[in-house]
Amino acid sequence: MATEEISRTKTNSFLGTLREKLALKPMWEKLTWTWKPETKREAGDAIVRNFILHWFPAKVSLESLSWGYSFWLGTISAVLFLILTITGGILMFLYVPSVERAYLSVKDLEFSTSYGWFLRGLHRISAHLMVAVVFLHMVRVFLTGAFKNGRKAVGQNRPLNWIVGVALLLITLLLSFTGYLLPWDQLAYWAITVGTNIASSAPVFGDPTRFILLGGTTIEQATLIRFYVLHCFLLPLATFGLVSYHMWRVRKDGGLACTEKRYEEAKKQEQPAIASKTYSLLGITGGSAVDVQNVMIDDEKDKVPSSPYLTVRLAVVTLATLLVSILLTLLVRAPLEEAANPAVTPNPAKAPWYFLWLQELVTITTFTVGGITINGALIGGIILPGVLVAAAVLWPYFDKSPVSSIGRWFPKERKWQNRVFVIIVAAILILTFIGTYMRGPFWEIYMPWQEWEQAPRRF
Amino acid sequence: MFSKDAIKLYVMGISLLALTAFVFFRENTTDWRDYQAEFRDLVTEKFGAERAEQIPSGVQQIWVKDLDRVDRCVTCHQAMEWKGLETAPNPYRTHPKGILEKHPLTAYGCTSCHGGQGFSTTLPDAHGNVEHWEEPVLGQEVSEAYLIKNSKALMEMNCNSCHRYDRQTTGMDYINTAKNLVEEKDCRACHTINGRGGIIGPDLTYEGDKPTEQFDYGRLTGRHAVFAWQVAHFQNPKMVSPDSIMPNFGLSSQDAQALALLVMSWKKEPIPASYISGVQLRDVPTPEEIAREKEMLEGDGAFFVQNKCFVCHSVSSLGVNSAAKIGPDLSDAVVDVQNRFGRTLDDFLMDPTGTMSVVLATQIPLTTEQRQQAIALLKVAYQRKLEQQIKNTSPSPTPAGK
Repeated sequence: MATEEISRTKTNSFLGTLREKLALKPMWEKLTWTWKPETKREAGDAIVRNFILHWFPAKVSLESLSWGYSFWLGTISAVLFLILTITGGILMFLYVPSVERAYLSVKDLEFSTSYGWFLRGLHRISAHLMVAVVFLHMVRVFLTGAFKNGRKAVGQNRPLNWIVGVALLLITLLLSFTGYLLPWDQLAYWAITVGTNIASSAPVFGDPTRFILLGGTTIEQATLIRFYVLHCFLLPLATFGLVSYHMWRVRKDGGLACTEKRYEEAKKQEQPAIASKTYSLLGITGGSAVDVQNVMIDDEKDKVPSSPYLTVRLAVVTLATLLVSILLTLLVRAPLEEAANPAVTPNPAKAPWYFLWLQELVTITTFTVGGITINGALIGGIILPGVLVAAAVLWPYFDKSPVSSIGRWFPKERKWQNRVFVIIVAAILILTFIGTYMRGPFWEIYMPWQEWEQAPRRF
Repeated sequence: MFSKDAIKLYVMGISLLALTAFVFFRENTTDWRDYQAEFRDLVTEKFGAERAEQIPSGVQQIWVKDLDRVDRCVTCHQAMEWKGLETAPNPYRTHPKGILEKHPLTAYGCTSCHGGQGFSTTLPDAHGNVEHWEEPVLGQEVSEAYLIKNSKALMEMNCNSCHRYDRQTTGMDYINTAKNLVEEKDCRACHTINGRGGIIGPDLTYEGDKPTEQFDYGRLTGRHAVFAWQVAHFQNPKMVSPDSIMPNFGLSSQDAQALALLVMSWKKEPIPASYISGVQLRDVPTPEEIAREKEMLEGDGAFFVQNKCFVCHSVSSLGVNSAAKIGPDLSDAVVDVQNRFGRTLDDFLMDPTGTMSVVLATQIPLTTEQRQQAIALLKVAYQRKLEQQIKNTSPSPTPAGK
C-alpha cells in the first residue's frame, strides 16, 4: 500500500517528490544532521577523502578501538594540545610580553577582559593535564611493551617512535615550563629561578645553558621574550611536527601494538608446509616452503570501518577531554601572586610541580659529611634525570622479551622490567607529592593537614 | 558498540552545552552588574529616568598613565562626581568635594590615595584584603583591626607618598604629628632620612619598601603584619628586637601609629616629579646669575633690562650685558644708527624699520615717552663710552670698566 503511494508520487513534480521524501523521514532525522555510509566503500571513502581524517586507516581493528587497552591517552594529549593552541592563540592577542606590562595584562585577563579568566584558566588547566596525560601515555606504552617491533613488516620501527615520544614528553615539559614564567608573578619568577638553577649545576654546560636560556645571568626582559617566543612559536611548532610524525609512524608501524597478537594467533593457525614437497623453483630458491608471505591473515576479520566507529569514539574522547578541562577550570582558580620581585624570595620557593620530584632529589642528595656539604643539584638535578632519559631512549634496544608479549597489559614475560619501571614511576610520583603538598617554609616537612606558619602581611 | 558510543557522544555534547551555558552565566552575572543596576534604580528614583539613562554601563576605569594605575573602582562607585548623592549609601555616595579640587580623579585615580586593587572588578579583590595583595583599602576595616580612632588616618600614609618633603600638610594630622616627633626626638641623630642624618641606626629613607618577610614577628602577639611590628617597635623597641639600642621614647599608641604610618610611607615609588609636593619644575638661576641681574637692574642701564632690550642688545658702557648678543652693542647707537640707516637715532627709534620695527610693534611696545627716555639714555651711554675710551688710551694701563 505504502509503496504504491510512493511510486505514484514519483510521477509528480520534483517539489512533490521532495515533500514526500521529507515527510517520510522521522522528525528526529529532520532536525539533526546524520549520515550513515550505505556501503563499506562509502565508509572508507569518508575517511580517505577527508583532510583531517585521512591519517586514520579506512578500516580499524576492534582491539585498537578498545577503551581499556590504550585509554586513548595519546588522543587526549593531542586534544589537549589543540585546546592549548586555540586558547593560547587568543591569549596572544591579550598578553604583553614585557616586564612592565606582563603582570598587568594578566591581571586584566583575570578581571576585565571578557572571558579572560576562562581562557587563562582553561589554558592553564589543559597545560597541567597535558603534562600528566603525556606522562601517563608513556607509562602505558612501556607497560604494554608497545615500543617493540613485532612481525617483520616493511619499515616497522617502533623504537624510533618511542624515542619521538620521549622527545615529545620533554618538549611538553619545556612548553609548560616556558609558559610558567609568562604571568610574571612571584610564583612564576621563583619557579623559573629554581628550575634554571638546577640546570646550571650541570658540569661544563650548566652555566652556558642557563645563560642562553635566560639571555643573561638574571631573569629579566631578555628571559621573558625568550620564553615567550619558545612558548608561543618554536616549541608548539616542534610539537606539531613531531606529533604529525608520531601519528604517521603509528600507521607505518602497522597500527597500535595490540594488533600484533592477531599475527601471532594467525601464525599458530597456519598449516605447516608439507615437508616432503619441495617448492624450489628451478633450483633458484631453497627451502621447503613458499616464503612470499609467511603468515596469512584475514585482514577483514574483526575489522570495522573507521567511519563511524573510530570517528565517533574520537568525538567522544575530544568532548570528554574538553568537558573535564572546562570543569576543572571552573573548580580551580588560576593563581596569580604578587608581581615578580627579585628582592623577595617566597618561603618556600618551589619549581613547577612536575619538576618537584627533581627538587626533592636535589634535597635528598644534598648532605653534609664532616663539615663539607655536597650539593645535590648535580646528582639529583642533572645526573639522575639524565640517566633516566638516556635509559628510556635506549630501553627498546635492550628489551629482549618475546614478540608475544607485545601489546598486552601485564605480560608475564616482561614482569621484571615492568616492576622496575613501576617502581621508578611510583618514586617520581611520591617525590612529586611530597614536594607539592608536604614541603612548607624552610623546606620543612609538613603533613597535609598541618597548617603552615601564617604569612606576614603589610597590614 | 556504535549505539553505545553515540549515546556517550550525546551525553558529552549536552553536558558541554550545559557547561558552556554556565560559563556564559558566570561571565554575565558579576556583582558589579548588580551594583550598576541598583545605582540606576537609585538615580531613577531621585533624579528621574532621563538621568539614569546617561549612566555608562560596563566596566569603567580611570587610567592614570603618569602613575601607571588603572582603577576600576568607578565600575561600582559610579557617583564619585555626582551632585546630590552626598548622603547616599556606599558605593553610591558622592566623593567629598574639597579634596578632589586639588586631586582630580583623572590625575590621581582612586587607589593612589585609598589603596586597594584597582584592576579588580570583584569586591574582595578590589578592597584588597586578599592573599597576594599588600595594599588593602585603607579605611574602616583596617582601622578597626588596629583600633585607630580616625578611620581616615591610615590613608595619610599614601598622601605622604607625594607630600613626603612637606614639613606640614593641611589635613594630614597623623603624619604631621609624626613629622614633628621626628624633629622633636631628633631621629636623625641616629638615622639617615632623605639623605640627612646619622649612621648609628639603619637608613630609613626607604623603610616602607622593606619586604614583609624581613621583619621578625617572633615576639609579636597578634597579627603578623609590618604595621603591627612598627607600632610595637615604636612603643617598645627592645620588646620586638631585643638587640636594639633604640631608646624607648614612651610614645602614646596614637603617636606610635602615626610614626608607623610615616615610616611605611617612605617608599621608592616611581612618581613623576610634577606630583611631588614642593618640587619646582623650572630652571632655577644660579646665585651669580641672580646677583648679576640685580646689579644690572640697579645700575644706569636698568631701563634696558626692565624692558627686555637686553635679551638681544648689550649696553656695555651702562653695565648691561646681553647673554645672546644677537643685536649690536647699543653703547654707540648714536653713531651706529646713523651709519647703518642714514638716519638719526631720534628719528629711527620713533619710526623704526627692519627687525626693530617688528620687535617694537609686537614684542616690546614702547610708549613715546619710553622711546624718548631710551634715546636720552643711549646718548648718555655714548657719552660714557667716549669717556671710557679716553681713559683706556691714557698711559696708565688699567683694564676697561675699572
